[in-house]
Amino acid sequence: MSDTTRRKLLAATGAGVATGTVGLTMGPAQAGEARRSASSARESVVAYVHDHRSSEVRLMVGEREIVVHDRDLATRILNAAGGR
Amino acid sequence: MSSHREAPEMAKDPVADSTDVYAFVSPDRPNTVTLIANYIPFQAPDGGPNFNEFGDDVAYDINISNKGKAEADITYRFHFTTRVRDPKTFLYNTGPISNIRDTTWNRPQFYSLTRIKNGRSKVLAEHLPCPPVNIGPRSTPNYHHLATQAVHKVGSRRVFAGQRADAFHVDLGSVFDLGALRPFQHLHLIPMADTAGRNSLQGFNVHSLVLQVPISEVSRSGKAPHDPEQPGAVIGVWSAASRRKSRMFDKEKGAYVGHGPWEQVSRLGNPLFNEVITPMAHKDAWNARAPKGDAIFAKYVNHPELARLLPVLYPGVFPHLAAYHKSRADLNAILLTGIPKGIVPGFQNFTGTVESDMLRLNLAIPPTQSPNSLGLLGGDAAGFPNGRRVGDDVVAIELRAVAGVTIPLVDPSFTPDGAAGLLTDGTTDTNGGTKATFPFLGDPGGGYQTQPGTSAVS
Repeated sequence: MSDTTRRKLLAATGAGVATGTVGLTMGPAQAGEARRSASSARESVVAYVHDHRSSEVRLMVGEREIVVHDRDLATRILNAAGGR
Repeated sequence: MSSHREAPEMAKDPVADSTDVYAFVSPDRPNTVTLIANYIPFQAPDGGPNFNEFGDDVAYDINISNKGKAEADITYRFHFTTRVRDPKTFLYNTGPISNIRDTTWNRPQFYSLTRIKNGRSKVLAEHLPCPPVNIGPRSTPNYHHLATQAVHKVGSRRVFAGQRADAFHVDLGSVFDLGALRPFQHLHLIPMADTAGRNSLQGFNVHSLVLQVPISEVSRSGKAPHDPEQPGAVIGVWSAASRRKSRMFDKEKGAYVGHGPWEQVSRLGNPLFNEVITPMAHKDAWNARAPKGDAIFAKYVNHPELARLLPVLYPGVFPHLAAYHKSRADLNAILLTGIPKGIVPGFQNFTGTVESDMLRLNLAIPPTQSPNSLGLLGGDAAGFPNGRRVGDDVVAIELRAVAGVTIPLVDPSFTPDGAAGLLTDGTTDTNGGTKATFPFLGDPGGGYQTQPGTSAVS
């Protein structure tokens, strides 16, 4: 996975992930040190982890679907999704 | 029916539900071909205040294969945009609509037409207005005028997108009651007295995409073919509707927001293919696939369930069909490859060996002056399964084909049962009628004018 693509996802998930009516704010250590690149998405993005055992993350942005394979990225999303 | 609500998931998404596809050499301009794709089945004309309309979140495609590989070599894509002129009223119209640009129409719909060829998109037209639906004599007092205003010239093409009377006819109430055909139901396993058929689509409208383009624009050679036996004379046609891969409800907007690429959710080539050939468990997956992958469904064509059911439902009526266990090469040709040269003298609509459900039209066969609604079965090579005209009785044609009438084309040893050539559901088009000229489908029934049907419990 390229840094650019990874940053796109982190930017999309941001420092907070809403799960139902419960909001979860991740600290700086969990959010990593990602910075937005000049080419990062400037619109809403949907991230989809179909299989929690896989490293695949699908990003829906505009009319494109970007498939990335990044264990760390998938794990961060899964951890955020499991937050209470 | 042809493809109205034909798959379990698609039945819940009428805006993307393709109901019928027609493709024929235009009788009003024989150097053109007319392509029609209908959507949104069973529109009660009085279904306000939110009347039927195309989906802004759906991409509507009419696909053409002309290179013999069952791929979309040319796609005409329609995208719609709906506006609300006055957000303070609940009304669809705030007064009579006498012109499609009248501001009394509170919810006008516009569309763009794009051609995709060789991977390149070209916007052919934008901001084309649709007509409103036919509400009634106070709101849409001269509906035919409104519909005529919505016929647009786009270069040498003509296009219309809007509500029409559904020209398809079938007796659903009878067919889905254990395969009964009212004109023959005294012969049914559960017999009843014969009666005339009832058109279940009577009184209902659809939304139609009607496109007329020069034959030279869609043919393989870029010219109008004149020899019906020339391989490049045939095109394959199918419609497809796609939605965004991700759809999320935005509470603030009170609307769904789409993300990601367009994913096909509905398609239609030959009438009734997904309806009565594909098993229910596979219908929605079939809808999401491209025709070129249809070889996996060929077994359902080669040994159709309906051909096994007919002798059971009508005991003793179809003994020859019941005893026929060979693969149905006739149906395979009609539905999946086209009929090769040498089967029907002077005719072919073969598109190659790739098994694919497409409506196949031989562009070199001119329109018939007096069409026979039984198409090729009636000796009229300008009709279904050579393309499909609005007036073709595809239910009777396909019933007879499945019952064995077309087997002798490929297996002369077979003699069809006497009843096979008589099969019909006994219905005709009892809606707005068809027109001899573009857009060929009749004006839709009006909400005020159309009388609701009468229900009966027993």
